[in-house]
Amino acid sequence: MQEITIYIDRVAKKRPSGPQRAALREGRKSILVVLFVPSVERDGTTAVNQNHWVDAALDMFGRVFGGATAYPKAKGIWRDDERGGVLVKDEPVVIHCYTTPGDIQNPRKLAELASFCRRMGRDARQGEIGLVIGDEYLAIRDFAGE
Amino acid sequence: MKTHLNMDKIALALGAERAGRVSARGGYFGAMQLLADIEARFRVPAGGGRPTDPRWIERRLVPLAPRTLKRLEMISAKVREQGGVRVEPMQLAALLLEKTTEQITEDEVAEFVRPKRRARR
Repeated sequence: MQEITIYIDRVAKKRPSGPQRAALREGRKSILVVLFVPSVERDGTTAVNQNHWVDAALDMFGRVFGGATAYPKAKGIWRDDERGGVLVKDEPVVIHCYTTPGDIQNPRKLAELASFCRRMGRDARQGEIGLVIGDEYLAIRDFAGE
Repeated sequence: MKTHLNMDKIALALGAERAGRVSARGGYFGAMQLLADIEARFRVPAGGGRPTDPRWIERRLVPLAPRTLKRLEMISAKVREQGGVRVEPMQLAALLLEKTTEQITEDEVAEFVRPKRRARR
């Protein structure tokens, strides 16, 4: 088989070691947080003020984690197991936020993220708020408290 | 190397249930991640030229098969056309290589270097 040779750019001339490398890794925005902003309530028909929640989510991600990007509406579906497995169709807006391992494990920042998710879940009458952090899907279903 | 997060602690702080690991590296979700990565990291160099990640400062020769190069060209063309983001095939290769190496865990590295057992008769 014919082979072609290419250039690939690579990072860093000098590799820091030990604690210095760990500190650098902690400081890199290497963790992706994904939030789904719904378009309808749990009943699948009542529209929610999606623009308001997208703006509020961007404000929160900007303030707490330093930035985020909202993508155009997607098509989604969610099975509501607490209502006999009824399928709820919606058009969620997906928000991506890159943050650091340190920030995503910071209790104060997590409290702000949790507070936002609970408020959106409660006010927009959702069955579940979905978050992806790193490579895990996290489901928030209890919206009590602030 | 992959960053270790204490997901139990994060889930507890969020009042969330850990619903499972995602392996979303393809399809719409993976494509959106790729676009977001390029938009977040690529910058026009101070002296001009095409946008790139400023941390990519080393160069190495890497052999690859023609079909791999074709695939890289096809994907980067789609990213340019549909995502409106300019990325060259080899920049895409560097990005994918970086992401893959970061996702390999210490355990997986240990698997690579585990000595092979000789077959006994």
